[in-house]
Amino acid sequence: MAKKQKFDYDLIVIGSGAGGSAAATIAARDGKHVAIIEADTFGGDSPNWSDIPTKALLHAAQLYDEARHGARFGLRSSTMSYNYPSLRAWKELAVQRTGAGGNRKYYEQQGVDAFHGVAHFITPNEISVNRKHLSAEHFLVATGSYWLPPDIQGLDTINYLTPRTILEALKPPKSLYIIGGGTTGVEIAQLMAIFGTKVYIADIAARLLPSYDSEVGETMERLLHEQKGVTALTHTRTLAVEKENIAKRVTYTRGGVEHSLRVDEVLIAAGRQPTVDLGLENAGVGYTAKGVEVDAHLQTSAKHIYAAGDVLGRHSYTHTALLESRIAEHNIFSKNKLTPDYTATPRLVFTYPGIASVGLTEDDCLKRDLQIKKAIAPLNIIARSNTSDFRDGFVKIISDKRGTLLGATIVAPHASELIHELALALKHNMTASDVAVTPHAFLSWSEAIRVAAAKLS
Amino acid sequence: MTTTQTKAIDIVKRSGKRPTEPFNSDKLHHSVRAALLSVRSPEGEAEITAVAVTNAVILWLETKPEVTSHDLRRVASAHLKKFHPDAAYLYEQHRTII
Repeated sequence: MAKKQKFDYDLIVIGSGAGGSAAATIAARDGKHVAIIEADTFGGDSPNWSDIPTKALLHAAQLYDEARHGARFGLRSSTMSYNYPSLRAWKELAVQRTGAGGNRKYYEQQGVDAFHGVAHFITPNEISVNRKHLSAEHFLVATGSYWLPPDIQGLDTINYLTPRTILEALKPPKSLYIIGGGTTGVEIAQLMAIFGTKVYIADIAARLLPSYDSEVGETMERLLHEQKGVTALTHTRTLAVEKENIAKRVTYTRGGVEHSLRVDEVLIAAGRQPTVDLGLENAGVGYTAKGVEVDAHLQTSAKHIYAAGDVLGRHSYTHTALLESRIAEHNIFSKNKLTPDYTATPRLVFTYPGIASVGLTEDDCLKRDLQIKKAIAPLNIIARSNTSDFRDGFVKIISDKRGTLLGATIVAPHASELIHELALALKHNMTASDVAVTPHAFLSWSEAIRVAAAKLS
Repeated sequence: MTTTQTKAIDIVKRSGKRPTEPFNSDKLHHSVRAALLSVRSPEGEAEITAVAVTNAVILWLETKPEVTSHDLRRVASAHLKKFHPDAAYLYEQHRTII
């Protein structure tokens, strides 16, 4: 009988972000010998540079903004101000409190050997990290993705900001040109506008947040403009950027006409690329520039190597990466393979009002040529809208002809909480009528869900 | 015309059967140049292209303390392909062609 080959580890996880950390800690808890490799900051993007710091700052900004506009409720808050270094200190505290953010010891306490350095496959079962060779029976590639600057003339000659570096700025810029009107771009646009920055947000698409239903982009564009003075430049292609003393001059084309604009800073919030440069060829793992190729069980073309998270190039949500990480860990050590179910994965934008969506959008239904019914309940028809003096936003529900839910979108305060009712209904193939007959508390925002569902039932 | 100097980088040789050796940019430069000359690229052009390809590989190596000789060949041929696809093919397949 052939002798079983000995390896240093049962599992080596490359990347300590959401796609990697869950698998590493679960496997270690199950008694497996696990190592985790991190090339950047332990914990990955979410706790260090994206979700946690952005949401901590957005929470403070939205609190400040709401208080500042409290005169209509009889509050004397016109003298409210902020101290940006203190806001940054709050953000750092939030990162620190996650435990994982930048903290190698967190993983070691979980029984996982942590190594800092760039991992590179030398052979299918061996990687090199700072010239140290580590071998394992199984690998999980969870290297995430990075911001790739678009091909714009002069971009390499200026110090542009990214969603990561703007959070480290000592003070908000006086004016900011954001390239990319997706989730990150819109969140940062609102954040900076609240702190007094004149924001221009440019996207080649016809509306902001083009991956959501058209009503979402149109509502947010209007609210950002009316309430925060943000200029949304849709249908816009940024042509060139150049230095102009301490500022920057941006040239863009819109509606066939070339324009030019002087701003303090330029932020690139478009184009994330999966991190696949880790010698995957040496391990026989198939990949393209769009990400690592996996089957339904997250297994790559090398049977002992799995992949999870942003490196797959599909979704860019921390909760999706966590789901994939848990499933990949299960599939690595179990004969009964699982498949991740993305049906009820919520998509969120943490602006005010919040945006949340689940299932198919109307565009998705059109592409699939589905016969659908849809209903929209504007927030201003429910009682909570009156008591909170908030009238913008809506709940939109899409169902098939028999009333079974296909998708839903919410633009409302606390949308990220509200969406889970519809996610659960969608996951279990419930109908709009099932949702409508469920009692919804008076004076809760969720009454709008009942109204929209009732229109379909 | 010279190539950029690099920090110490180890090259793991093919199949790991031969000992690891330090990266030598001149060796890479000569091999790329030889591939170009063998497809009858003019000498001056071969020299300029070889320097550009070597510098691109050195840039790629910046964050990597250890790679395999196969990685070097793969990355060099990917850059060479932009300048001279025939030479890149020869460079990548030289073991099966010769």
